[in-house]
Amino acid sequence: MAGTIRLTKSDKFFHFFIDAGLVLILAVLIVPIWSTLTLSFRPNDFIGSALDGMFLAPWKWSTAAYRALLGHRSFLSAAGNSFRIFFEGVATALFFTVPLAYALSIKTLPGRKLLYGIVLVPYLFNPGLVPNYLLVTKLGLSNTLAAVFLPGAVSVYNTLIMKSFFEELPEELKESARIDGASELTVLLRIILPLSKPILLTIGLYYGVHFWNDFFNAMLYINDPKLQPLPILLRNILLSSGMNEYVEASAFGEAPIYAIKAASVFLAAIPMLVAYPFIQKYFVKGTMLGSIKG
Amino acid sequence: MMEGQSVLLRNPASHALWRRIIRHRSVYLVASISFIYFIIFKYIPIWNAQIAFRDFQALKGVTGSPWVGLKNFSDFVNSYYFWELIRNTVFYSVGKMAFSIPAAVFLAVALYECRIYGLRKTVQTMAYLPHFLSWVIMYAILLAILSPSNGILNDIIKAFGGEPVSFMTDTKYFPWIVILSDTWKETGWSAIIFLAALMGIDPSLFEAASVEGASAWQRVRYITLPAIKPVIVVVLLLRLGTVLDAGFNQIFMLYSLPVYSVADIIDTWIYRQGILEFRFGLATAVGLFKGVFGLLLIVVSNKLIKRYTGNGLY
Repeated sequence: MAGTIRLTKSDKFFHFFIDAGLVLILAVLIVPIWSTLTLSFRPNDFIGSALDGMFLAPWKWSTAAYRALLGHRSFLSAAGNSFRIFFEGVATALFFTVPLAYALSIKTLPGRKLLYGIVLVPYLFNPGLVPNYLLVTKLGLSNTLAAVFLPGAVSVYNTLIMKSFFEELPEELKESARIDGASELTVLLRIILPLSKPILLTIGLYYGVHFWNDFFNAMLYINDPKLQPLPILLRNILLSSGMNEYVEASAFGEAPIYAIKAASVFLAAIPMLVAYPFIQKYFVKGTMLGSIKG
Repeated sequence: MMEGQSVLLRNPASHALWRRIIRHRSVYLVASISFIYFIIFKYIPIWNAQIAFRDFQALKGVTGSPWVGLKNFSDFVNSYYFWELIRNTVFYSVGKMAFSIPAAVFLAVALYECRIYGLRKTVQTMAYLPHFLSWVIMYAILLAILSPSNGILNDIIKAFGGEPVSFMTDTKYFPWIVILSDTWKETGWSAIIFLAALMGIDPSLFEAASVEGASAWQRVRYITLPAIKPVIVVVLLLRLGTVLDAGFNQIFMLYSLPVYSVADIIDTWIYRQGILEFRFGLATAVGLFKGVFGLLLIVVSNKLIKRYTGNGLY
């Protein structure tokens, strides 16, 4: 009997250890985000340390930084460009990914192995930055929004997740349509795609988040200030110490510059925070599908 | 499939193949869209990589520039920054691995064992989220903590009577900022694959263990951790395959001139030499060096994974 009691105690300690660990992890995750968030709401006349700022009562918060950003021409234009990149990018990426995933999912397709090889070679061997840069500039894509999403419009990883999803759809549905004389294209459009809404949404959002966050392609290929997306503007705001050519003091009004910096990243993250709950439930499933062999 | 009908045909196998090809003609039609994309955006760059062996001149183009053999490669290997770049790149890859994989294993096991539903769901949601934040956003968050004027960490230092430290531009602290901020951002996402493996454990093992009177600690030690050991090995080998990718976006966003000596990795160097200094041939050679080495590493790690699990990645 004594043994069992000791075991229960040790189990209790085990769960205390696990739960305390998780609470600690939660704190480590939340504190930096909270301190940035409170920084973005800090009023211009705030006196005190950053720690005081973290515990400033919400009714003393100032939305000046957000109002300044949302009323500013270059911020609105950057947000518009980012939304265009998001939607055009997702449409383009799905347009190229879906047919590929579908072709790879048909086990009886002659030449499937060859197609798989063609997809895999660039995945395993990356020739590097400059050869890609030469291609994109040669195609005349400089100073177009397409330069941000077109070079990365097909991700092999996303294609394989989608392919696994197509393979899992019941074979009888496809077969019965084929017996009725439907072509493979009709099977794809009429049967596969309507059943694949969840995976199209998930993969679409994966691509979308990636394009929304990208600053590297935008930095490489876009010089025209009118075409700059949010990450580039954000980067310019963040790297400006004080006020420089990118951020004129008068342009952003009453808010302190550090609040502008913090507020700009939260505004830029909002679309992702909205998309996040929709994709979260597919994370574990997607990881398992992605690890299935082709 | 083709018995009976094929008796009269001269070459039944090829006939059946043709029929299968014709039956799938619309698939080829739609797949050709993706195929053309791959040729243009994935294979032309591979063709362009030949400028690593040329003295690239923009006016003469990729095929018109004169051959220089391995000059670009020897320039790189013999330069003083060669070992510094390799060292920094491998240091950051291995350092991130050393922190984020144990953290991810702990997080996955803790989430799996946690009996408090609300805590589990909250931690899961918060832990996956940073993966979707770009490094531009991460930089703003790091500023809120580390900035000498507004950062909370410097606030604490000042409260204890210390002098504020400019962490981001100090070679002593910069490597830690890179490794720890990556751990903060990616641990939750890395934990997913371990969590998926834990979901696959046969529950009867735990029942048997509790009948035998095993404690929770023993359960973790003898069932849970052995169950995810193969996944840990696969993840380690996968990371080995990408050891030369030390995280361009992160370093590029965080580094500045004072910390170049400890911050510069192969990718940031390629960017500065190739795009900012127009040394296309040299930058391509370094990129190709990295690409070929990366290919070798992936092939080797895939071989090891295949030997270990019986299943390869491709």
